Amino acid sequence: MNPRMNPRHLLTRGNVLGAALIAVLLVLPQLATAFFVNFVMTQTLILGLAAATIVFLATYGGMTSLAQFLLFGVAGFMFGNAAQEAGSRGLNLGWSPWVAVAFALLVTLAAAFVLGAIASRTTGLYFLMLTMVYAVIGYFVFAQIVEISGPGGITSIQRPDLLGPPVRLYYAGVLLSVLAYLGFRAVGRTAFGLALQGVRDDPVRMASLGFNVRLHRTLAFTLAGFVAGLSGLLNVWWNGQIDPASIATGPTLILLIIAVIGGITSFAGAWLGAFVYVWVFTYLRDLPLIDNIGITEARFNTVIGVIVLVIMVLSPEGLTGIVKRLRHRVGARTPAMPGPASGGSPSVGKRTKELGGTRT
Amino acid sequence: MAHPSAAPSERDGPTPVVRVRAVTVAFGGLLALRGIDLDIARGERLAIIGPNGAGKSTLFNVIAGDVTPGEGSVVIKGVECVHRPSRYRPRLGVARTYQKARALAGLTVRENIYLALTGHRGRHLALWRSSTDRRTDEEAAEVADRVWLSGQLDAVAGELAHGQQRQLELGMAIATRPDVMLLDEPASGLSRGERERLVELLESFDEDLTLLLIEHDMDVAFRVAHRVVVMADGERVTAGTPAQVRSDPRVHRIYLGTEAPS
Repeated sequence: MNPRMNPRHLLTRGNVLGAALIAVLLVLPQLATAFFVNFVMTQTLILGLAAATIVFLATYGGMTSLAQFLLFGVAGFMFGNAAQEAGSRGLNLGWSPWVAVAFALLVTLAAAFVLGAIASRTTGLYFLMLTMVYAVIGYFVFAQIVEISGPGGITSIQRPDLLGPPVRLYYAGVLLSVLAYLGFRAVGRTAFGLALQGVRDDPVRMASLGFNVRLHRTLAFTLAGFVAGLSGLLNVWWNGQIDPASIATGPTLILLIIAVIGGITSFAGAWLGAFVYVWVFTYLRDLPLIDNIGITEARFNTVIGVIVLVIMVLSPEGLTGIVKRLRHRVGARTPAMPGPASGGSPSVGKRTKELGGTRT
Repeated sequence: MAHPSAAPSERDGPTPVVRVRAVTVAFGGLLALRGIDLDIARGERLAIIGPNGAGKSTLFNVIAGDVTPGEGSVVIKGVECVHRPSRYRPRLGVARTYQKARALAGLTVRENIYLALTGHRGRHLALWRSSTDRRTDEEAAEVADRVWLSGQLDAVAGELAHGQQRQLELGMAIATRPDVMLLDEPASGLSRGERERLVELLESFDEDLTLLLIEHDMDVAFRVAHRVVVMADGERVTAGTPAQVRSDPRVHRIYLGTEAPS
């Protein structure tokens, strides 16, 4: 029997914590106010899902993308164009909501594939800049082509009947977030995911081993684009409208900041960062005397900037890095549990370094 | 390993596995290769030596597909490869190592070898296929054993000592079971003991394996090679058996600026 299939093997601390968190999310509508669930948490799940695509590309592919919010917007605009019947800006195709969903996701996939194929030639700073150019172009496409949006965007977008009550949208966010979290982590263990990590580490080496580096990057970008599209659909159902300003460079950078706050190499960090962002924006104004120290709504971005600065100084790996360090510190105080030696542990690497030779 | 008494020469004998013709490479105004020709026969062990700036690495990278020459032709196993990118080489049974070890630093030794094994087999775009299976696992363990890394299979490649990274580099090349292996200064940075093991490993390869190596370490180059090509200023100066090259006065002039002692 494969040891990974052993039920006792699944009882790790991480898995138990994850299951507990999902349970809390499922019963949250019974425990918290409707405002907290339908505003704070739904928005957290939507932004977390979008930020997770940045984490996916950065962690496995070494690509820091600023185009994820554009693809998020493409799905939203396409749904609006396809689902609206009349009287709204856009194409007013009047399709059934689920056909519109399929259409929106297909267009998002196609856009992600084409943009990914073009960007796959670049790495590092050039990739970042190119995807920023995508975001700028995307903004102008939707702002200037009035047939599909125009500067005012598309309004009065109805969500499918299945997701009618706001709490159902929250549950859809939970479901997609859990699937994306598990899915992204699982991708790392697939043949494709391993090759992508190889491409991240050394594309030249990977090419010499026979891998099509550009194709791997393109497909990773397409997959991330698809998930960003899902979160874009949730967003347009949650907001009921979408306009070009909501996918401009400002919100684009905010999404990257969310990923950085959480920790750009941690999938859980994407949702953690989104929660911090939404929480600050929602509750900062409620803090007593906050106006007296000059922090008004117009200065919330400054507050977020200070938070990012503090986190970057304390922990470049974001909030999840801080959590990990605290756990290590707590773990160091408690006596070590004897257990089977596992390969690749830091102790093995350290021992190798200390020996310095080639014999084992 | 016994060296053949006479070195095979260009333009005669059976069709070479690698045939380089009139290759010219310019970097800006600098001519790195000036119309060079080279044939490598099946099973031949060929070393290219020469001082820094001779064009050895450029020629090597042209054959490996990392540099596209301005002019000339590179035919590997009868296939014109000059405009094909490096990723086509493994399909033709060509594997290479790099002068500076380029193991995939964030992955384990096992994963590095997996990637070497799967690179030329395809099937690596699958999202539904696990990165591991029993057969690949066994193959990876065998390869690691051949390059003395069996105890390090789960160590992260970036944390290995320099010598071990070079061993992994060689393991990744061996893993593909190549017909042609291109080794870029495999002995650089190795201790005396590690060099001995390297020579031992290179001598243990199948006789059918064609080996091209660039090497600064003359001892390693002359022990492993059947034939040695000497380059200087982007041109081929001379070629012959290790004994012939060792006694060639032009080689002494290139390296030491003096004639060979009589």
